[in-house]
Amino acid sequence: MSSFFRKLRWFAQRRDKEAELREELRFHLEEEAEENQERGLSENEATRAARLEFGNPTLVEESTHAEWGWPRLEQVARDAGYGLRQIRRNPTFSAIAIATLALGIGGITAMFSAVYTVLIRPQPYADADRLVMIWDDMSKNDVAKKHNSTPAEWIEWRRLNTVFTDLATSQPGEATLSGDGEPEQVPARKVSWTFWSVLGVQPMRGRIFTEDEDNKSVHVIVISYGLWQRRFGGSSDIVGRKISLNDETYEVIGVMPQTFYFMPSRDIDIWMPASFPAWMRSNFTWHDAQIVARLKPGVTPEQARQSMQALSLQVTAKDFRGPHSVFVVPLREEIAGKTQAALILLMCASSALLLIACVNLANLLLSRSAVRGREVAVRAALGAGRGRLIAQFLTEGLMLAVFGVIAGLILAVPAMRFLERLVPEAMGAAHLSFDWRVLAFSAVVGVAAVVTFGLAPALRCSRVSPQDGLRDSGRATTGARGHWFQYSLIVAETALAVVLLICGGLLLQTFQHLRNADLGIRKEKLLTFETPLFRYADFDKRVAFVNAEIEKVREIPGVVNAGSINLIPFTNFAHATFYRLDGQPTSSFASQVTLIRSVSRDYFAVVGAQLHEGRFFSPSDQRSGVTVGIVNEAFANRHFAGDSPIGRRFQLGDEGHWYTIVGVVKQIRESGVLDEEKPAVYRVNEQCDQMGDMQAGIVVRTAVDPASIVPAVRRAIWSLDNNQPLARIQTMEEIVDRQLSTPSQSTALLGAFALLALLLASLGIYGVLSYAVTQRTNEIGIRMALGATSNQILLYFGRRGLALTLTGLAIGLVLATIASRLMSALLYGFQPEYVPTVAGVSLILLSVAALACFVPARRASRVNPVIALRNE
Amino acid sequence: MTRSGVPSQVGLLQGTLDLLILRTLLAGPTHGHAIAKHIQRTSEELLQVETGSLYPALHRLEAKGWISASWALSDKGKRARFYRLTALGRKQLAAEQSKWEAFSRAMVLILNPADQGETQ
Repeated sequence: MSSFFRKLRWFAQRRDKEAELREELRFHLEEEAEENQERGLSENEATRAARLEFGNPTLVEESTHAEWGWPRLEQVARDAGYGLRQIRRNPTFSAIAIATLALGIGGITAMFSAVYTVLIRPQPYADADRLVMIWDDMSKNDVAKKHNSTPAEWIEWRRLNTVFTDLATSQPGEATLSGDGEPEQVPARKVSWTFWSVLGVQPMRGRIFTEDEDNKSVHVIVISYGLWQRRFGGSSDIVGRKISLNDETYEVIGVMPQTFYFMPSRDIDIWMPASFPAWMRSNFTWHDAQIVARLKPGVTPEQARQSMQALSLQVTAKDFRGPHSVFVVPLREEIAGKTQAALILLMCASSALLLIACVNLANLLLSRSAVRGREVAVRAALGAGRGRLIAQFLTEGLMLAVFGVIAGLILAVPAMRFLERLVPEAMGAAHLSFDWRVLAFSAVVGVAAVVTFGLAPALRCSRVSPQDGLRDSGRATTGARGHWFQYSLIVAETALAVVLLICGGLLLQTFQHLRNADLGIRKEKLLTFETPLFRYADFDKRVAFVNAEIEKVREIPGVVNAGSINLIPFTNFAHATFYRLDGQPTSSFASQVTLIRSVSRDYFAVVGAQLHEGRFFSPSDQRSGVTVGIVNEAFANRHFAGDSPIGRRFQLGDEGHWYTIVGVVKQIRESGVLDEEKPAVYRVNEQCDQMGDMQAGIVVRTAVDPASIVPAVRRAIWSLDNNQPLARIQTMEEIVDRQLSTPSQSTALLGAFALLALLLASLGIYGVLSYAVTQRTNEIGIRMALGATSNQILLYFGRRGLALTLTGLAIGLVLATIASRLMSALLYGFQPEYVPTVAGVSLILLSVAALACFVPARRASRVNPVIALRNE
Repeated sequence: MTRSGVPSQVGLLQGTLDLLILRTLLAGPTHGHAIAKHIQRTSEELLQVETGSLYPALHRLEAKGWISASWALSDKGKRARFYRLTALGRKQLAAEQSKWEAFSRAMVLILNPADQGETQ
């Protein structure tokens, strides 16, 4: 047992220890007396001699006490008790101090938990910092800058690269589970056999598939922990079980641990071998693979990027349509995405809020330390050293910190629930919780805040000389220097509040712009879902089934209309192809890419799309007739700016035949609400002969709440085919809201931080001015007695407050220009109006500050000189 | 009390009391009074142990874990707090003793320089 714990235990038993010590010393005395008696002294003399020899028993007791190591502990306990009494005695002061601290701590605690979860927490891969994603750079085809790569590139890169230990692919794969229970469509990925070794992950049960199994297309799958629990009840004989997947038999060979996730989303339930068909192995235009690679030891992502750009050019030079450059992005950055910028901004904002809270706290403590000048003087006069006084003030501050941290943690809970919606999709529904790191973080922050910002008042206070302090209760004990310090604190917090308000204003404008942006469709009362079509490989059957689905759904009461599109709007940037216009040389294919979508005839009417010119599809657009296409505005603007594209023709990919443009539809951002406008071509289902389409997205316009018809929709589809799964059932509003969640959450949070900052800053101005007024009541009295009018006094104090505010505002504006540059990633290419924001913020700040100045200034002007001077 | 000899009494050097207590306890567990008497007697009354130093020292050593204490009956049948050397204390004693011996040897060498110093 170490000496520290022994002393601690003694501390707990100190009453017993004291009794023991007294007995021990008494024994010593008696023993000495007895010995003296033995030497022939009388009993009285013996006792007297023993006492003389012994010395002062109280002193002996006290110096022995000192060895128990308690004096400091006892002192801390006493100070803490005193601090508690102080808190209780000044409930208003304490409540304001604790609430201020709690706001600061609560904000930064919630932000820290989110930052930790998303940006810091180790990812479930071995040596995750060595992993990068490689994307094709398609900027010259301008459909998507960062695009999926091709399996053919993977094969070549794997063979030729010098910077990676290995690379792996992951392609979308839909999987329909049937056989036992309801047919269920689960998210799946087709991955190369190298996937597991590149990520450095192991299954928790069973094994992963081998190179041989991948090459030979063996029907084996690895499933997620979630699927194992949900669909198979966590049964222990899952490994080796044969299940029906897409109407074929697959063997489950492994289960991944619960913590495992990978791009593009956490909800992937099945990983199956990629088993590229032969045509895919040499096709440099089939962009559907995400490629992840592990850097060789010592290679930086930048080196990898340079090396891979050269290699990409070399590999795809043989195919003119191929991408000739790549992006190499660290995996962590890729997974965090836009959230990273949002989190960093919000973390900075919450730090600024904490700083403002601390500044206010320092001001509060400072103001109060002056009030307590007399008490301090008494203590100093009675012999308390400077160090002792500082220790006492800091202990009192720590008591405030304890309450502040507890209240802050309580405030952090709702903020954390709110922040959970900011967690990127790739990480799934991460739950933000108080683990020891978060608790330790907020405790450290709270203590550091109080020590740093409580030190100035403590130092100031401990400097009070007993004479001055006792002569007068605090008047003029703080000179000009004291004011200067408080004033600079006020300027600092005002400046910080201005920065937060301006950033908040810019984000708010951006968010309003995003929310009000024309989606191109009416999102209200629109239900969407997907039905995989692998059971209908034959083209005619596929079209017939989709049309039957639409018919069945239309019959449901409450449904206005229904239509189909192969990929639900705003959800997918896949399905793009090369094209050329009539009159362009064949080489134009290389540089022109457009999204392509196939829709049912009245799809546009169902979603409420607007026609820019021409017509939508009509019953005359039959398979046998002239193939027609509808293009969007981005497509039209690219080639026919100011001219009508109606009647012009284009060719898609390798198809060979021509489509005639019959209409231009107003922009629908197929690849995402926040994505840039991309050219797109729409064809009618009957005229598409692509066999690659594996699913049909169904859109249903309802007269009732779209969620209420979901059971009826399921029944309708199952009446056609009871093994037909429905996937991703969601309303269009849900889709849009989710995509706007990063801007909306960050705007709301930053807005909240900014308003709190404004509130705290104005409270700070108010506090400092009222303190100054209280302190200078005498002076005001004299001024008034000498003829100053109350208006002059009002102006005098009002001016001072406004001067501080204006200084803070000026500094804040300079800082805000810097800060707004840092947050450009969150503006989604939107250019918010800077000047009106600044004007608005200045106006708000000045009016709030004016109010904060007016109240104490007015009080000063109302001072009755007779009463003020009688105080003397 | 009367004493003979030139140095009637010497003050204890800083830190030596701890060593003396440990050394005394090597003979076996005993109480504070006996420790003081033992040091006095063994040093031929040269060293006088103040109660005001003895008890703090005992409690300090106990806090460090070098000695442990328990209540037992004294020779005369009274309850007394007996101190006993712990294993840690024994180790400490050995270390302190050799340190002290080296120190005192050095003191002797300096205060009584060897013959060659005088012949020069």
